[in-house]
Amino acid sequence: MTRSITKLPAARLRLKEIDLCGWIGQAMPGDMLEYHRGFLALDVTEQGTRLAERDRAELVRVARRAWWAAEQRLVHLVQRRHGPDDYSYLAIARPKPRRVSASFASFLLQEVA
Amino acid sequence: MPHQFSPSDLQLLLLEADAEARRLVRRLRLPRAELDDIRQDLLVDLIARLPAFDPERGSLGAFAGLVLRNHATRIAAKIKRAREAFGAVPVSLDEEQPGRDGGTRGELTAEEDGLSAWLGQPVDAFAEVERRLDVERGLGLLDRRNGALCAALAHTTVESLAAQGRGSRSGLYRRLKDIRLALMAHGLKAA
Repeated sequence: MTRSITKLPAARLRLKEIDLCGWIGQAMPGDMLEYHRGFLALDVTEQGTRLAERDRAELVRVARRAWWAAEQRLVHLVQRRHGPDDYSYLAIARPKPRRVSASFASFLLQEVA
Repeated sequence: MPHQFSPSDLQLLLLEADAEARRLVRRLRLPRAELDDIRQDLLVDLIARLPAFDPERGSLGAFAGLVLRNHATRIAAKIKRAREAFGAVPVSLDEEQPGRDGGTRGELTAEEDGLSAWLGQPVDAFAEVERRLDVERGLGLLDRRNGALCAALAHTTVESLAAQGRGSRSGLYRRLKDIRLALMAHGLKAA
């Protein structure tokens, strides 16, 4: 007997990498952004057919940038499950780290050296 | 021998210059604050041309009238050119604002509403300090290689760096885009 197969919900590109960066830069601690809705691991694969190639490539950049921002301690990354293969991928803004700083002059001196 | 001018001659020149300046201000609908400047411009030009006055060819009044009219025409043409370039309504910082106790436009215009703000220059000292802190924080997050690229781009171009063998043009632009996005994520906007 054939079991019914759940149809994957349609995916679409919600925002671009530059939008994500702009939001992270302006967000207050605790602000939340859904940067993707769908099944990210599937949607970024070349074999996935849910997104046009250009959107898929942009989604790869968005996902990498979100991961980078989490490594930089700018956001927390969490996901919320809505149903089978349907997740909201959320970025939650953290307080901006203030301890790292450098003056442009130091870079210029390195350049001269 | 140069003509000697009596105090009454000089009085005549002042009166003629004043009358011509008022006529010009009225004709061009200039603010009252412009009157003194125009009168001075006319007088300076007239005084510079006085050595050319020949009493045998006509009266001092006629000479002054001719010189002042010519210079007034040049001033009017200059003002019209400026209006065509910058707009039909002339605005002067020295213009007194009605009902503001003699305050001029320059004195009453806040820095945030001024030309420098309109041209994108920072006018908020606190915002400027915050921006500098943001820049230093953003720069602190760049790795040594990207920091060096920023320093190099402060005085040269991507094309020059590529020509010096510091990477391919497309590679340098890719790094630059990545730096921009990283700085944006840290709250820095492009200047």
